[in-house]
Amino acid sequence: MARRYDSRTTIFSPEGRLFQVEYAMEAISHAGTVLAVLSKEGIAMAAEKKVTGKLLDLSLAPGGEGMGGEGTEAWMGGGGEKIFLLNNNILAGLAGITSDANSLVNFARNSAQKHLFTYDEDIPVEMLVQRLCDMKQGYTQFGGLRPFGVALLYMGWDPIYGFQLYQSDPSGNYSGWKATCIGSNHSSASSLLKQDYKEDLTLEEAKSLCLKVMSKTMDSTKLSSEKLEFATMTLHPQTKQPLSKIYRPSELDGLLRDLELGGTKEDLIGAMEGTGGGGAVGNVAIST
Amino acid sequence: MECSFGLTGKDYVLLCSDMSAGRSIIRMKSDENKIKTLGPHLAMAYGGEPGDTNNFAEYVERNMRLYHIRNHYPLLPESASAWIRRTLAESIRSRKPYSVNLLLAGYDTTTTKPHLYWIDYLGTKAVVPYAAHGMGVYVSLSTMDKWWFNDMNKREGVDVLKKCIDEVKKRITVHFNFNCILIDKDGIHHIDIESEDPITELESQQPKETLVDAPNPPLDIGNVGVTA
Amino acid sequence: MNSVLTQLQPHQSRLEEYDELEHTDAAAWGSMAGFGNLSRTGGVQGMSVPRVSDPTAFLDLHTDNMSSNPEAKIKIAHGTTTLAFKFQGGVIVAVDSRATAGSYVASGTVKKVIEINKFLLGTMAGGAADCQYWETYLGMQCRLYELRNKERISVAAASKILSNIVYQYKGMGLSMGTMVCGWDKTGPQIFYVDDDGQRLKGNLFSVGSGSTFAYGVLDQGYRWDLTDEEAQELGRRSIIAAGHRDAYSGNTCNLYHVKQEGWDFIGNYDVNELWYEYENKKKADREIATASAAAAASPMAVEQ
Repeated sequence: MARRYDSRTTIFSPEGRLFQVEYAMEAISHAGTVLAVLSKEGIAMAAEKKVTGKLLDLSLAPGGEGMGGEGTEAWMGGGGEKIFLLNNNILAGLAGITSDANSLVNFARNSAQKHLFTYDEDIPVEMLVQRLCDMKQGYTQFGGLRPFGVALLYMGWDPIYGFQLYQSDPSGNYSGWKATCIGSNHSSASSLLKQDYKEDLTLEEAKSLCLKVMSKTMDSTKLSSEKLEFATMTLHPQTKQPLSKIYRPSELDGLLRDLELGGTKEDLIGAMEGTGGGGAVGNVAIST
Repeated sequence: MECSFGLTGKDYVLLCSDMSAGRSIIRMKSDENKIKTLGPHLAMAYGGEPGDTNNFAEYVERNMRLYHIRNHYPLLPESASAWIRRTLAESIRSRKPYSVNLLLAGYDTTTTKPHLYWIDYLGTKAVVPYAAHGMGVYVSLSTMDKWWFNDMNKREGVDVLKKCIDEVKKRITVHFNFNCILIDKDGIHHIDIESEDPITELESQQPKETLVDAPNPPLDIGNVGVTA
Repeated sequence: MNSVLTQLQPHQSRLEEYDELEHTDAAAWGSMAGFGNLSRTGGVQGMSVPRVSDPTAFLDLHTDNMSSNPEAKIKIAHGTTTLAFKFQGGVIVAVDSRATAGSYVASGTVKKVIEINKFLLGTMAGGAADCQYWETYLGMQCRLYELRNKERISVAAASKILSNIVYQYKGMGLSMGTMVCGWDKTGPQIFYVDDDGQRLKGNLFSVGSGSTFAYGVLDQGYRWDLTDEEAQELGRRSIIAAGHRDAYSGNTCNLYHVKQEGWDFIGNYDVNELWYEYENKKKADREIATASAAAAASPMAVEQ
């Protein structure tokens, strides 16, 4: 029965549903989790990388050895799989079909630059969210096309409303949040966030809440930069302008070790001990 | 034959324009308002080719309004000036350019700073503390160079403006009537520049009485701005 | 064909549909009285301008329209005095009736007040053809507005339609200086609209080559609380003054009075006849005045 209303996105089922849009949402609930927490001082976002493995060649990915290694400017665009810089003041975490996501990121960056061109200011966060959602909505209405199988978390800052966190889905709906989550296990992660979220969090607490919920949500017991991407949006202490930071693997591992959530690559534990590596950061991770 | 000035002060900006309108040497009107309110804290004084002036001003007005409706907050002066400059820069490269010069004055509610922009029909934009367009340039710029200083209070600002108008009346053969507004944190106020002490008059009245209507703001935007 | 772009931006197809609508719409009205090429929103579809790169320069070369080339072979009919003013009793509209082409008086019986409808008048200065054509068109738009909205159009809206049209054709050689006068919900109104696209609201305007002369008399005699008779006389007197001084104005004066119930045509007056009537009256008044002054100055004479 459902078949008759499945094939075209623009056709309502007799129950008033758009199956293709619902299927797109379903696709996302299998994707890597992305969650973010808003605080007065800034926003933290963590994302689960699904495509991992020893044989994956990351040397040409941003930050990889082929691109100049860690700490090069190539990082500015984002970690390559889950978290992207859309504009100076906006970072986004994506869950869903990666190729669709790439196209959306491109659209978003273009929209942001067009706004900068016309108004000589960074695009306000909600406006960029609206731009993307208008586009996504179009694909639920015009026939013969497939909706974007992507949900996004946007974190950003603008002078009108300050720090903001938004979420959007394939139907083109969007909403603002204090803490939220998309991707696999999003419902359990959301209830964890609801339990532990407190008003007036500091940024450090927001970061820690983000990673703690992530560690409970993800299947593996130990977190590491291999399976995670992490980013924050803050204000520069002097200029008071937005400061987007996507963590480098070493920085993220350091943070995870501080929080006693992992942070050491399992196959490196022995090696680090052997060479006395770890440097200034205490090797607390081993104890977890 | 037109004349307009603007100047910024500590926490306000003043804008002043003549009110004559006509064709060639004939003045058909001496009470035409050539200052357009573009938002709750934004206004411009415009001049140039007859016909183009009003058409362009209304075009800007409608676009600012549209932005306000779509986003629930108005464009800040900085971004509005960028949009207007861009519009004129695109116009000058079109088949039928707008010949409009303008002074844009605004109050940024997020930073609580006054802004003044000098913009011409070529799409030139300058951020300035004080400025003039038209015949006012010839006599009033030196006046403002001498008397204007940083962080003037409202009374001092109005005094400088009066000096400019006096000089125009004294040295320019054409007679002008002037229309004047002041923009501060409360919005746009009409100022009776002919009166002895316009600021006392302004302060003695309820803010609502002197307020120049912004084009129907859909929301109360008085408290916008987190860094304020 | 099925690309995202065409799906999301159906401009082209919408435009075509719209055109189709326009045509059926025009047909539904039956005969369009020669205005079948006009769109509902103002402007004209298929209105021709000279097929040259710069229509303005072309017109300038061949007509005396821009007045920069008085030797041009085509003399466009213009040269006029028109005036209108508001006062407590409504609006007075007065115009002359001379049309000139160069130094030649082409007509002395031109109707320079165009009766747009019962409540709206338009005056005509500049190119006679342009004014007549666009103000007749304005009349059509005003009637359509009435039919569609079940109420009369305001003077402000009517004049805005006209100014939007002439602004579309700005720089292409239109020559018009017109006053749209009438009475609407807000009371008496006058709007000046010209070929620059300028539109001004006001109490008192005079347009045309004789306007300076008319202003001279008008400004001195104008008050808000003029009686109906005084106001009509002021309008008439101003046109006579301009008709006498301006070579491009004269012949007769047409006088209208717009009131709440609509406009009245007051009369048509011969400029020359009136001028000499005024002259004689002036002389007679002067004689009476000097006589009585002389009488007052010498008490002896009174006693005699």
